[in-house]
Amino acid sequence: MINLKDVSYVRLGTPDMESAETFATSCLGLQVAERAKKALYLRSDDRSHTLCYTEGDPSDQAVGFEIEDEDCLQQAAATLERLGHRVHGGSADEAARRKVRAFIGFDDPSGNHIELVVRPERSGRRYFASRDAGITGFSHIGLNSTDPGRDERFWTQVCNARVSDRIGDIPLMRVNAIHHTIALVRASKAGIQHVNHQVESSDDVLRSYYFLSERRVPIVFGPGRHPTSGARFLYFNGPDGMVFEYSVGVDEIEDEATHRPRQFGFEPTSFCMWGSKPAGMALPNDK
Amino acid sequence: MNPDGHPLVVSVCYIRIAASELHASARFAADVFGLQRVAEKNGEIAFRSDNRFRTLSISNGSGAGSSIGIEAWDEAALVGIEKRLTKGGFTVSRATTDDCRLRYVQAALLARDGSGNSIDLVARPTQSGRRYFPSRDAGITELHGVGIRSTDMARDLQFWKELGAEVSDWVGDITYLRIDGLHHRIALYPAKRHGLLYAAFEVETLDNIMQNGYFMQERQIKIVQGPGREPCSKQIFLHVEGPDGIIFSYVNGMKEIGSVRRPARQFPLAPQSLCDWGSEAKDVPELSAGVN
Repeated sequence: MINLKDVSYVRLGTPDMESAETFATSCLGLQVAERAKKALYLRSDDRSHTLCYTEGDPSDQAVGFEIEDEDCLQQAAATLERLGHRVHGGSADEAARRKVRAFIGFDDPSGNHIELVVRPERSGRRYFASRDAGITGFSHIGLNSTDPGRDERFWTQVCNARVSDRIGDIPLMRVNAIHHTIALVRASKAGIQHVNHQVESSDDVLRSYYFLSERRVPIVFGPGRHPTSGARFLYFNGPDGMVFEYSVGVDEIEDEATHRPRQFGFEPTSFCMWGSKPAGMALPNDK
Repeated sequence: MNPDGHPLVVSVCYIRIAASELHASARFAADVFGLQRVAEKNGEIAFRSDNRFRTLSISNGSGAGSSIGIEAWDEAALVGIEKRLTKGGFTVSRATTDDCRLRYVQAALLARDGSGNSIDLVARPTQSGRRYFPSRDAGITELHGVGIRSTDMARDLQFWKELGAEVSDWVGDITYLRIDGLHHRIALYPAKRHGLLYAAFEVETLDNIMQNGYFMQERQIKIVQGPGREPCSKQIFLHVEGPDGIIFSYVNGMKEIGSVRRPARQFPLAPQSLCDWGSEAKDVPELSAGVN
């Protein structure tokens, strides 16, 4: 079994690095850690980076998950190859560009590009936000899935994720006590569905709602509260149509032994208990 | 404060308002806002929001049926209040038995503040034996406080001080007054006319504020301001407009004033002094903080 410890970073291609930086700093609130040739590294917490924009195509995306050590990396590569996934061993140069010691890359069954990384760097300096959004750190992703049932089996049997709850056939999966680190959303093709950063309080969620609305950043869902995780949230559009989320108050699953995932119906109140409805966000139809 | 150590007044106890269409306003209060209708008597429909028998009454007409009820400690406190208000030059008279019956109280003084707002000082308001049970789950826990329009802030402040209220903070000339351990129960807003600005009802949690907000949006009920958060009191609010421009507010999370006394703080008259989150009021000058 591939033991994922945590989500580590997201890499997004973009044709317009300048706009991406402006959005990431003045709207989202991330801190520029480093500007390299054709790459922008952004921080949201004590890690040296959690979001990296690279100059290129928006469909060029990757999600990095941290695993224990290089032995585990080798075993993971072997497991994935046995299952028929093509595995790319990252070169030293590629690893340096991801600020990790070593990594392998592969595609999940839907075609999402996943990287398993070892020893991702942390920064000596604390995170200092570009705007007072109250961000405490990069927390989780929504991932497109062309077959949620099949992909749930991949993440829970090949990897160590556990389902915390389901909405329709969307599994919200954890790799540690945090309610979910991966949410699979039915879609017609691969891609990162949303990128979540945690914020300090509900006040921050509401402040960002007004702040972003004033700046005409499209609010695609919220402000709201997920009945599944309990978190108060706001989803909004960033560069190249990527959806970003702020949330706070995600439940923790303390009792691994006895937790049973709940089934919520595929309807608006399962996504938001306050009454907000998604607008323009590609929340999948269930058939 | 009395020599006994108890305050002269203890709570905002009811709101009486006049409506141009009684039944439309009654429907708003119960079906939209979430109050429980309890009685119809003498042309007034009574509603409750908590363990008191009645916290809101609506009557037909011009405004004769409007007043804000403030509960006094007891009938002895009313005697003291009458003396102070008279000495301060305020209009005050003893309520008749009929006036009291209409107000569901045992004794009362009918007074006017410096702006001409009718303030009833009452003793022994009727409680209810049954618990509050509304027709929809708005999460209301009690009538919390009021916002009042003031055309003479200096006189109005003097009026409330005679009752023992103290200023917690100012935003421009907007004055937040406390009568118990919470930051404020009465807020005075400079205005061009007197009258009630809003009646605030506390709800259980932020969840209720947000649910009520989406509920209103879905039904195209006008939200005057919010959801928002008052910086000086930390109170989360949602101001909802009903018939005749009446504003009922859902509130939550007001902080206590605490045991260490501090001077009242002055905030500038600006939208960010009335809402920390960034909400702005629509079409209500008293809440617009000087912005047109």
